[in-house]
Amino acid sequence: MTVDTSERTAVPAAPRRRLSRGRVLLLSVAGVVLLLSLTRVVTGADVLTSSGTAGALLVLALPIALAGLGGLIAERAGVVNIGLEGMLILGTWGAGWAGFQWGPWAALLAAVVGGALGGLLHAVATVTFGVNHIISGVAINLLAAGFVRFLSELFLVGRSGGGATQSASIVGSVPRVSLPVLSSGPDLLGRLEATRVPVLADLGGLLGGLTRDVSVFQVAAVLLFPLVGWMLWRTRLGLRWRSSGEAPTAAETLGVDVVRIRYLAVTLSGALAGFGGLFLVLFAGRYIEGQTGGRGYIGLAAMIFGNWRPGGLLSGSLLFGFTDALRLRAPDAVIALLLLVAVVLLVLAVVSFVRHRRVATVLAGATGVVALLGWLLLDSLPLQVVATTPYIVTLVVLAVASQSLRPPRAAGLPYRRGQA
Amino acid sequence: MRRTLPGAALTLAALLVASGCAEDAPPQAGGSTSTEGGGSTCGNEVTIDEVTSVGLAFDSGGRGDLSFNDATVAGLEQAQEEIGFEATELSPNADGSNRGDLLRQLADAGNNPIIGNGFQFSEDMDTVAAEYPDTQFIRIDGGPSDCANVAVLTFAEPQGSFLVGAAAALTSETGVVGYVGANTSELIEGFRAGYTQGAQAVNPDIEVLTATLEPGPEDGYNDPAAARVAAEAQIEQGADVLYHASGSSGVGVFEAAAAADVWGIGVDQDQYNTIGDPALAEHILTSMLKNLDAAVYESLTTIVEEGSVDSQNLTLAEDGVGYSTTGGFIDDLVPQLEEYKQQIVDGEIEVSATPAS
Repeated sequence: MTVDTSERTAVPAAPRRRLSRGRVLLLSVAGVVLLLSLTRVVTGADVLTSSGTAGALLVLALPIALAGLGGLIAERAGVVNIGLEGMLILGTWGAGWAGFQWGPWAALLAAVVGGALGGLLHAVATVTFGVNHIISGVAINLLAAGFVRFLSELFLVGRSGGGATQSASIVGSVPRVSLPVLSSGPDLLGRLEATRVPVLADLGGLLGGLTRDVSVFQVAAVLLFPLVGWMLWRTRLGLRWRSSGEAPTAAETLGVDVVRIRYLAVTLSGALAGFGGLFLVLFAGRYIEGQTGGRGYIGLAAMIFGNWRPGGLLSGSLLFGFTDALRLRAPDAVIALLLLVAVVLLVLAVVSFVRHRRVATVLAGATGVVALLGWLLLDSLPLQVVATTPYIVTLVVLAVASQSLRPPRAAGLPYRRGQA
Repeated sequence: MRRTLPGAALTLAALLVASGCAEDAPPQAGGSTSTEGGGSTCGNEVTIDEVTSVGLAFDSGGRGDLSFNDATVAGLEQAQEEIGFEATELSPNADGSNRGDLLRQLADAGNNPIIGNGFQFSEDMDTVAAEYPDTQFIRIDGGPSDCANVAVLTFAEPQGSFLVGAAAALTSETGVVGYVGANTSELIEGFRAGYTQGAQAVNPDIEVLTATLEPGPEDGYNDPAAARVAAEAQIEQGADVLYHASGSSGVGVFEAAAAADVWGIGVDQDQYNTIGDPALAEHILTSMLKNLDAAVYESLTTIVEEGSVDSQNLTLAEDGVGYSTTGGFIDDLVPQLEEYKQQIVDGEIEVSATPAS
């Protein structure tokens, strides 16, 4: 929920007091847990921080987050990838087709390859042929949706009970792990959750749910985020990567092969989206046509929410995943969300006020007060309102933080080699 | 380089047009009930002397969907064997935008009657029926039609859901049962209403947990991940029998039920047979059956015998809906369920199509 606005590419001019990255992360996590704990205690909605919710959160947030990460690495190299949904779809089909025959590891491979092929197509269109990124992306979304039906007719119909719109069940299972002592065996976190003590129980529930009985694929997916962050901001390749997205002509004059980097980025972008599709298939037990349900687009929204950074993107995805999880798990408890949203927005309003940003103050303040009044006065929320909560929060965050949000400068712009 | 741009764009555009968009909801377990545009009547009362060619336009998914369409095909083929007519089958494109054209194509080829499978044919069929006033159209599901040459076959899903609700309550050991619905359309809410009434008829104190996958009256048929999350939450809260009215999303409910070793209940078809996975089938207690095949077969044989067919709401009394016993898990409950069925048929129990809360 916190948008890290520090500008890493800029050299700090004066020695300014600045929290280290680790501290910011720790503080924001602590803030979120505190906030959730407060909301739980005030509203009595235990489901807010139960380990079941945390587990569902991981399931629902990962496909969004991985699609978003795909979008991030593509845009960081200068190519807008709106075709993520299509690559997600190709990933789900690949996972379903390989999974029912050879199990989850083959599904992983096929999902990644499927998504990567979609990405490669996007790269050919945008990088080599200079097609408008948005048009190519939209075309890939539509193409993928129709193409998988064609593939299903060819390769799924009649095989182990598959049909035109679904595959047979995935065979085999993925190894699952838990943290020793903390979330298995003595299960300290589980015991902590059972105490119902404010903050401690919430921490136990959330951490327990996130670390108990998770698949190795999930672990790998979560590790990808720091890995991509490290690659983009701490390595030579990352510097070249980002300069392709910021100033490709300048990078070219310095000897960076922008075309190659963009090909790599967009293909990997598709592979990541395909990996996200794998989780949908594994969790559902099979490929079902249309099961992506627009999660690729939400991934894009999460990426913008997160200011084109892995950490921010992950928090955005968790926000979407959390609302989804709550809506599905406890439709009656979601009214508690209003209090949460109100507190977040009011804090945001105070921060904006201190920074003398009037419009932001009014916007956040007013929405916050409405949310607070809603929580005080309403008994339950219509499902429609609940489903739109993350979008409203994203819009408000975007409005409030728009001055510090900055997409890669050259993302989406036409670039041709040799024009430097 | 510059010259290649329009070429590439054109290729992509061509692909785009060719592929279309496959976001359509599958027809299982309903969708929104349609409202008819305009109050004018259209078409003529059609009398068919001899059935020689029958047209069938599928709903999205087409032949081989292991569900709605395949059930209709089964009825058609059964009738075909007895009557001996030519059958032409057409599938709509992925977003279903050419349904009207399919019907016209079938009508132009001289097929009579023409079957449109699914409520999504509602508007298109009425339009086409006005253009071909002497062709008999049969629609499976959907709202009533003003056209004299359109017969609509609907099913009393709440009644069938009542029986599986009773089966759920009779099986549950915890006194908590679950329900996962695709959306809040009238049709889908009918499943919930019947299920809840059936469960409460057995045990007035039973707790029925409810989850809805999509907030509005549409969609929710393709999201097994969401369905599984919802089902797992209900199982955590003690539910040990879960019913779903959510099309393909229901797989998620069965996955959750199998993982937790509790029961799931299928919908539309006998999902014990169609789920295609023995590990899941072993956790499908029963299914609420919508006897599409029988309905299609009946309507075709009616045309042969009487020359015409009328709109019909198929209830428990006509065996339009029912429950399955495949797997033998509810064999000992059958006498009780049959009793409830008889009471519904006799009108002693009235099943409301709208949920109490």
